[in-house]
Amino acid sequence: MGSRGGSPRPAAPLLVPVLAVLAAGAAEARATSESQLPGAAAMGTGTPPSPTGTAFEETRLHVFTLDYPHVQIPFEITLWILLASLAKIGFHLYHKLPSIVPESCLLILVGLLLGGIIFGAEEKSPPVMNSDVFFLYLLPPIVLDAGYFMPTRLFFENFGTIFWYAVVGTLWNAIGIGISLYGICQISAFGLTDITLLQNLLFGSLISAVDPVAVLAVFENIHVNEQLYILVFGESLLNDAITVVLYNLFKSFCQMRTIKVIDIFAGIANFFIVGIGGVLIGILLGFVAAFTTRFTHKIRVIEPLFVFLYSYLSYITAEMFHLSGIMAITACAMTMNKYVEENVSQKSYTTIKYFMKMLSSVSETLIFIFMGVSTVGKNHEWNWAFVSFTLLFCLIWRALGVFVLTQIINVFRTIPLTFKDQFIIAYGGLRGAICFSLVFLLPPAVFPRKKLFITAVIVVIFFTVFIQGITIRPLVEFLDVKRSNKKQPAVSEEIYNRFFDHVKTGIEDVCGHWGHNFWRDKFKKFDNKYLRRLLIRENQPKSSIVSLYKKLEIKHAIEMAESGMISKVPSSVSLSDYHEGKIKPLSPTEMENMREILTKNLYQIRHRTMSYNRHSLAADANEKQAKEILIRRRHSLRESLRKTNSLSRERPAAANTKRFLSLPKNTKLPEKLRVRNKTSSRVGDSSDSEMDASTTVLNLRPRAGKILRDQRLRQQRPPPEFRVEWKNEVDGSQDRRGEQQELSTLPQPSIGFRQPLLTRPRFGTLSREDLTADHGLARPVPPPRLVRQASQGERQRNKPENQPY
Amino acid sequence: MGSAHSVPAEMRELADRTGFTSEQIEHLHRRFKQLSRDQLTIRNLRPESDGLADEINFEDFLTIMSYFRPIEMNMDEEQLDRFRKEKLKFLFHMYDSDHDGKITLQEYRNVVEELLSGNPHLEKESARSIADGAMMEAASICVGQMGPDQVYEGITFEDFLKMWQGIDIETKMHVRFLNMETIAHCY
Repeated sequence: MGSRGGSPRPAAPLLVPVLAVLAAGAAEARATSESQLPGAAAMGTGTPPSPTGTAFEETRLHVFTLDYPHVQIPFEITLWILLASLAKIGFHLYHKLPSIVPESCLLILVGLLLGGIIFGAEEKSPPVMNSDVFFLYLLPPIVLDAGYFMPTRLFFENFGTIFWYAVVGTLWNAIGIGISLYGICQISAFGLTDITLLQNLLFGSLISAVDPVAVLAVFENIHVNEQLYILVFGESLLNDAITVVLYNLFKSFCQMRTIKVIDIFAGIANFFIVGIGGVLIGILLGFVAAFTTRFTHKIRVIEPLFVFLYSYLSYITAEMFHLSGIMAITACAMTMNKYVEENVSQKSYTTIKYFMKMLSSVSETLIFIFMGVSTVGKNHEWNWAFVSFTLLFCLIWRALGVFVLTQIINVFRTIPLTFKDQFIIAYGGLRGAICFSLVFLLPPAVFPRKKLFITAVIVVIFFTVFIQGITIRPLVEFLDVKRSNKKQPAVSEEIYNRFFDHVKTGIEDVCGHWGHNFWRDKFKKFDNKYLRRLLIRENQPKSSIVSLYKKLEIKHAIEMAESGMISKVPSSVSLSDYHEGKIKPLSPTEMENMREILTKNLYQIRHRTMSYNRHSLAADANEKQAKEILIRRRHSLRESLRKTNSLSRERPAAANTKRFLSLPKNTKLPEKLRVRNKTSSRVGDSSDSEMDASTTVLNLRPRAGKILRDQRLRQQRPPPEFRVEWKNEVDGSQDRRGEQQELSTLPQPSIGFRQPLLTRPRFGTLSREDLTADHGLARPVPPPRLVRQASQGERQRNKPENQPY
Repeated sequence: MGSAHSVPAEMRELADRTGFTSEQIEHLHRRFKQLSRDQLTIRNLRPESDGLADEINFEDFLTIMSYFRPIEMNMDEEQLDRFRKEKLKFLFHMYDSDHDGKITLQEYRNVVEELLSGNPHLEKESARSIADGAMMEAASICVGQMGPDQVYEGITFEDFLKMWQGIDIETKMHVRFLNMETIAHCY
């Protein structure tokens, strides 16, 4: 006993395991039917045994105390989150499971289980899913994550359609469901006649809201094409405005005694204010955030904090005014994304990305678990008619709505939506936690049948999440809906896209047609002129081609640095594939060697560049040179490592070129070919490997060179100087190699390739002057690339090595 | 409206060839007249126009515009394919300035340099290396089928097609001629 302030805490049963551990500390357990706070019991040990408060004034010193109420709230929160994450781990242990059943279903099941346990222990449902908790803490991270990584271009291209579905579609659904349910309620046989029209309309409005959380959870695994995804997801985001308005509207109508026409107009005006107001708040705070990050270069560590704070601020500010918080935070995230990314450091960017993902994942997990937990309880009232008709009408009206609306919007779209698309859009209209929370928020005084509503909502949510969630994947495959194709970003594609944009804008201009491109162009100009100057710290006009190129370079540099010299992963696209075409079959081991060597030594893009530029340089691989070059290479690699560590994204491309041009493509080749185990540290072995150098030096690179070389020839632009020099080198090395026949037949390199060589002198920074001094050549010594084609036999051997690539 | 091209027979022939309807043709003709200042041809105002025509007349104008027609719902597979090929051929010719059927490295470089010419911070050399890199990528997609001794001369039209395979050109390469009301009559 002991009257420890003891109102039973709701989640007390969670402490059962804790209790077991702390059994030793509990001297006096509360002898009630429910397992109670050990904390209370512990306090009982601390104070005099008499519960009535009489007896000793003194207490002994406590060796061991247990004070649960002190840490209760954080403790419970931590336990919940931990439980959610453990559940997630559990699902992924069986790797096939998440692909069949979406995680959301599994989480709800776990929640149900837990709820059952708690209910069984306490005889009442745990009020964990507080609507406030949901709307203020759990929902924002998910929406933020979605908004931040939304493909803005696609979103705006389809904005009209999305808006149409969100506003008109939700209205259609809400009113349709409301009215038809009212019709059902009129049938006295069902015992529902006390539900008024307004109540039905309110119910309709809250159940017609497509839920972004559920949509995200289900769609992320099935990978439909981006267009479809953005339509469904965008709709779920934008319909928040309508939902908020309708919900509040009908709720107040229910509570008002008379409804005047003016109220209806107020409702319509409210919609505009809610939607536009929310967006404005979001954009405004997004700009402020971008502006703030302009000045944060001295305190990089708290940069991510600004992103989160401002977006959350936009959400709660909007909620404060009863505007649409979801739209506010989405607008804020989309605005911030553009500018903040350029102001923050690479590390902050990574932090932001991962932290956001983590938060949203945790939120989502918690939401579904709580939904499961809150389902179990006593706040249900079952009525077959109401529940089943609700479900039926939800499905029917959604399908009808999508169909009718699409017919209308297809007139305005240039790419009409097919039936398949429509089906997926209708099928993807999942309901989720938002309706759930909204229904809990209904004031019971005004809604005597609140429990009935709760039951109906739960049934609909479970149906959509479970049945639709599980079956959408096989349906997508059955209908052969176009899937998204995740390919490696390629510079050439970016170039084509850019080029194409220009072409289209030009044509639209010629036609005098103000299409998407026209507005996008205008916005871009405005952006460049004013916004970027204001919001970005060092404003350099950015081209997506260049940034993609840089990004790819950096990525490969990092990969290379990370893997040391032991990478087995061929730098994806080009090089490896590139060489395929020109080689004759080679033995597998040789191929393996070559591949290994290649991958260790090449960057994707940079090497491409080099290939074009140095293809024809004779490979003067005397030992000293090989050694020098090896040293130089490692040195420059070290530098690159250092530089990539303190990555600054604003490094001009030219600087990169400078650094890496020094890397002879196949410096390592000789050694590698020889002995597979030789690492880069074996500098001294170049003498041995020299022979290999000649053979290995593949015509790997030269392949590219050859291509371009021939091209050049065709263009008949012989570069005399270059040719001469090349010849010298060739002659010089002839006695060493003894394979000069092919050399002379090689076409001359073109002038274009000289350019990068001019940067060679910068190699001075790498302190390799001795190299040039050694050979006494007017131009810097080219690496031992073999342009010189090896003898026939070697050629046989070398060429095909790339085949497997 | 109404000019030398309002003769029904000619119009019909144009309509057949390019696929536009007569209202669209009339409207485009109006636009053409605006751009050409009531002359019969639009002159090329660029100073150095190697590979570009000096002037185009309405027929050429219409032909080019026809490449940007949106796809229609009732097109079948073969028509769609042909449509797509036409559009891509148009793009190909924009790259291939000397019209030899191949996009050589130099032509590609020109394109990239022009694209990036608006960026004052970018050196020519970087643009060049980007172009080289992209060319390599292009070659990598196509080289797989070439024999060992073949030389890669440049991107041919087939290669070009291959590269655009993943991209939905039919849906992207369109301008809404159809909505006449939305076309702004400026000037």
